[in-house]
Amino acid sequence: MLSEERHVEPSDQSALTQPAAGRLVSPDIRDEFGLETLDMNMGPQHPAMHGLLRLILELDGETVVRCDPVMGYLHRCQEKIAENRMYPAVIPLTDRLDYFANMHNEHGYCLAVEDLLGVEIPPRAEYIRVLMCELMRLASHIPSVGFLMLELGAFTPILYSFRERERIQTIFEAVTGARMMFHYIRIGGVKADLPEDIPQKIWDYIESLESNFQRDFVDFIQGNEIFISRTRGIAKMTQEKAIEMGVTGPGLRGTGVDFDIRRDYPYSIYPELDFDVITDTEGDVAASYRVRIAECLQSIRMIKQCLEKMPEGEVMGDTGRRIRPAEGEGFGRVESPRGEYTVHVVSDGTDIPYRVHYRDPSFCNMQLLQEMVPGHYLPDIMPIMGLVDPVSGGWDK
Amino acid sequence: MALAMPEGDLQTRLDRYLTGFRNGHGLEESVIEGSAVKLVVRPEIITAVMATARERLGVRHLSFITVVDRRGSFEVNYELLDLRGARVNVKTVIEGEEPVIDTITSVYPSANWHEREAYDMFGVAFKGHPDMRRIYMWQDHFDHHPLLKSFEISTKRTFEGLR
Repeated sequence: MLSEERHVEPSDQSALTQPAAGRLVSPDIRDEFGLETLDMNMGPQHPAMHGLLRLILELDGETVVRCDPVMGYLHRCQEKIAENRMYPAVIPLTDRLDYFANMHNEHGYCLAVEDLLGVEIPPRAEYIRVLMCELMRLASHIPSVGFLMLELGAFTPILYSFRERERIQTIFEAVTGARMMFHYIRIGGVKADLPEDIPQKIWDYIESLESNFQRDFVDFIQGNEIFISRTRGIAKMTQEKAIEMGVTGPGLRGTGVDFDIRRDYPYSIYPELDFDVITDTEGDVAASYRVRIAECLQSIRMIKQCLEKMPEGEVMGDTGRRIRPAEGEGFGRVESPRGEYTVHVVSDGTDIPYRVHYRDPSFCNMQLLQEMVPGHYLPDIMPIMGLVDPVSGGWDK
Repeated sequence: MALAMPEGDLQTRLDRYLTGFRNGHGLEESVIEGSAVKLVVRPEIITAVMATARERLGVRHLSFITVVDRRGSFEVNYELLDLRGARVNVKTVIEGEEPVIDTITSVYPSANWHEREAYDMFGVAFKGHPDMRRIYMWQDHFDHHPLLKSFEISTKRTFEGLR
């Protein structure tokens, strides 16, 4: 384990802060000396790639000149399938979107249909939903830190993070019966109440995670010189640029824009909970790591509040036997671990949705690759993927 | 440099946006519904309306673009957020079999992939878009737009030109 004393400040700070495009040979010089760029495919099947993504890269030496992501290798046209099913039958499909944020996907879709129906959700169901979503956020943020480190060549953090994810999945299994594809949040509430012993188990787990968190995910990583030199100043962007590219989630908050759907477009019981929106100032890969780590602690805080405040009562509202909303449109907007996840449902008065659209944060954040990768070295693509943290099922719908 | 966030409470901001759109483009039917300003505009002025939203009113974030196939016409929805609780929902209807609308990438650069997705799934062409290619489906030999209501889910598809 590296301590703070061994953390070495890079002597030449200017090399890190200068715009990465300065490393490129200008096109004139390239023509004059007859230099050629090299086209290279990265993926779709690449051991370090986040799922099935192909990047067409144009390289000048080891510097990337152009990056063009090609998507669609996992495209299932979920939006078309949803147009051919009844409202409740779409929920298990949404699980397959972003498979690191299944609870948020279900929650977003259910909020959109509830917006159309205008049903009232029992308070206990709202608390259970938020409790599950925050556990899911932990189970997504912690492995994404692990993936970032894995891509930088450190193997231990991924084991630590998957150990934690495994424990959270055990809790999910006890509550919902499934480890990943839950189908737990339903239109009008949740499928079933929590088992009797689960609140205590969650509490015990959260306590143990909190006491080990600093040791396993902060001390172990933050002072490491390889981590610092590979992430500081990489994909550095301004607030203006981040908003312009449609980035949301930890990437945006890493630049210092304090935008969080949970606070700014409140849904469910988030207005009743006490939490902070975490921001950083640097706007690079290291900043997004720090934001994710601090958000985990906020999630732990929220889970404790949920367990303390959870009321007794029903967990399913009255939606009627057939879900048949009136004509119109509904929106469900939630803060998924990767950013703003929105579902837009258009109804034509039948029991089958007329149109379902998912705004998935993985898809929108990936536009960053086209803009940020050119000018960086080839090996820097992996830390940038750690900043964007896309999930294959999310960008390919 | 910190980005300026919109000021004032939610209701004053919504009123400000509504008057801004009405003064700029004479959109008399626009209303405030909950936390959203809802506009219905003609497709010709979409870029101008978007420019008003971003440059004059400071609504900075493009949430998404949705197309709805209404069998004969296409409804294009643009959802904008001002990052502090207010939404702007712009709706426009394009008639005809081969729908064309102006791009808004000059105003909101993040519309790039949303418009490519809409083109891929519905065949809505965005005039002036810098990179109008399909985003999910095959680039060649596939002439269908899967989210059109005329595309049957169970029919076998042919790849024209390929065996």
